[in-house]
Amino acid sequence: MDELTPDKAPPRPRGPLFYAGAAGLATATVVETIAVSGRWLSLPLHGALEIIQAAILVTACVSMLSATLAGTHASVQLLLNRLTPRRKRLLTRSGSLISAVFFAALTVASIWLTIGHWDGYEETELLHISLRPLRILCSISMLAIVVVFAYRTIKPRASER
Amino acid sequence: MSGVTGVIALLLLLTLGIPIGVALGTVGLVGLVFLLGAEPALIKAGGVLFETASRYELGLLPLFLLMAHLCFAAGASRDFFDAAARLIGHRRGGLALASILGCAGFGSISGSSLATAATVGLVGLPEMRRRGYSDALATGAIAAGGTLGSIIPPSGALIVFGILAEQSIGKLFTAAIVPAITQTLFYLVTIVLVCRWRPSLGPALPRVGWRKRRAALLRVGDLVALVVLVLAGIGLGWFTPTEAAAIGVVGALALCARRRRLSRTVLLDALSDTLRTTGMLYVVIIGALIFAVFMSLTGLSDQIAAIMDTQSGNPTIAVVTMAVILLLLGSVLDGLALMLLTTPILLPIIHSLGLSPIWFGIFLVRTMEIGFIHPPIGINLYVIQEIAKDVPLSRIFKGVLPFLAADFLHLALLIAVPAVALALPAWLAT
Repeated sequence: MDELTPDKAPPRPRGPLFYAGAAGLATATVVETIAVSGRWLSLPLHGALEIIQAAILVTACVSMLSATLAGTHASVQLLLNRLTPRRKRLLTRSGSLISAVFFAALTVASIWLTIGHWDGYEETELLHISLRPLRILCSISMLAIVVVFAYRTIKPRASER
Repeated sequence: MSGVTGVIALLLLLTLGIPIGVALGTVGLVGLVFLLGAEPALIKAGGVLFETASRYELGLLPLFLLMAHLCFAAGASRDFFDAAARLIGHRRGGLALASILGCAGFGSISGSSLATAATVGLVGLPEMRRRGYSDALATGAIAAGGTLGSIIPPSGALIVFGILAEQSIGKLFTAAIVPAITQTLFYLVTIVLVCRWRPSLGPALPRVGWRKRRAALLRVGDLVALVVLVLAGIGLGWFTPTEAAAIGVVGALALCARRRRLSRTVLLDALSDTLRTTGMLYVVIIGALIFAVFMSLTGLSDQIAAIMDTQSGNPTIAVVTMAVILLLLGSVLDGLALMLLTTPILLPIIHSLGLSPIWFGIFLVRTMEIGFIHPPIGINLYVIQEIAKDVPLSRIFKGVLPFLAADFLHLALLIAVPAVALALPAWLAT
């Protein structure tokens, strides 16, 4: 996408977070490829869609946190680029604060729904994959994003100071 | 009233540089709290979050991104440009024509305007300047050619639109093929006309022998085969877009291995880049979907549709009005923000006018593309200036003017003849 305004050459994460996201992507690729090949060979892979959904959710949660850590969220720079460094710093910190509040609301919403569905024992139809751990992962990733944005509000990235 | 307030608040937050996804989500969530109350608003937002993160169709986004990063590592941008340069470099303006074709080729992999302009620019700009091409023509051709990355499938913008508008991404990709080809042709004709008017702008190079041409063509053969497999597979219904994306990743891995470019570092870098872009896009999509729920509750679209209906009653006039609004907004908003802000408002109007949402997706991406090269935002112009730092922005803008004229003509064609976008999907469906 064209409107990205990432920091130049952000550090490339290679920790557990990266490997979890990469594993999600690899799983989705492999399962989908086996499913397509199986369909063409009349050997359908039942439940492939459910595995891919779970893998994609892991990738999505981890990648949102990765993007936050790397500071690569897309933003409109029209005004920011024309401000004095001091005002730009102020706006960037305000942006981090608003982001923290927004993700805090999403965290509350996610935890609320997780608790609401807890006794329902939600699971997928074919493979009976429990949705509980996925909902928990979603809530944890949102909470982690809140922490990152809250920290950035207090201590902005070096490139934003 | 709440709808207008929401749009104004969103524009304000976007202008202040708040992350696009956060701005959309915040306005949407606050709006829902006012309209429905805190509890239903939070439940709705939580639902959107989990459903979006676990949505099967969205799986194609990271997979296509991974395919693009792997193809980039395999040297796709240089190969596309080299092949086109050897084929037509001996004609007047040949390298500029090659840049457009290189952008079209690389755009079919990258799905991004910015990435296309930046990567083809790195290869094509120094070559054109070394060969005595006018700075204005060289920079203008690549800035404009880069926009092809947004429309040539698999396009990131079309995927986001498809998710937001709940439209078939396969149909959107198929619908984009003819507009992408005609846009490329419009750019090529523009260069031919400019160089016929002033031949010194793009001098012809010595003709390259057929052996070298064939070698360059063979070099891009595997890339072209991969792109054709993915697109034909979607268009002909062999696989769903998500399946095609997975096949694309496997194909790109094989391609890297065949070219001896596959290493642990290449793979990890591609995954790392994919994850960061994916995360940014997920936040944007989640925010946009929350904003769309809010917009649908405000009834703003119905009010605008009613005004348009009483003012003109003519769908073409309504669409031209929309194009003008989008182009004006494109002067102050980035393409992605423009699409996310306007889709929830304009799409119901398109439905009420009896127009195709698939056509609207192509139209919206097309107007968004124009915003990439017209000031004051014109992000592609700034990308090109980063590559050619000694060329003033005013000169790049002068170079892009003929392409802007071609863009307006092409947009007019798309409005006057919707079949440009709709004929191919309809034909393939029969």
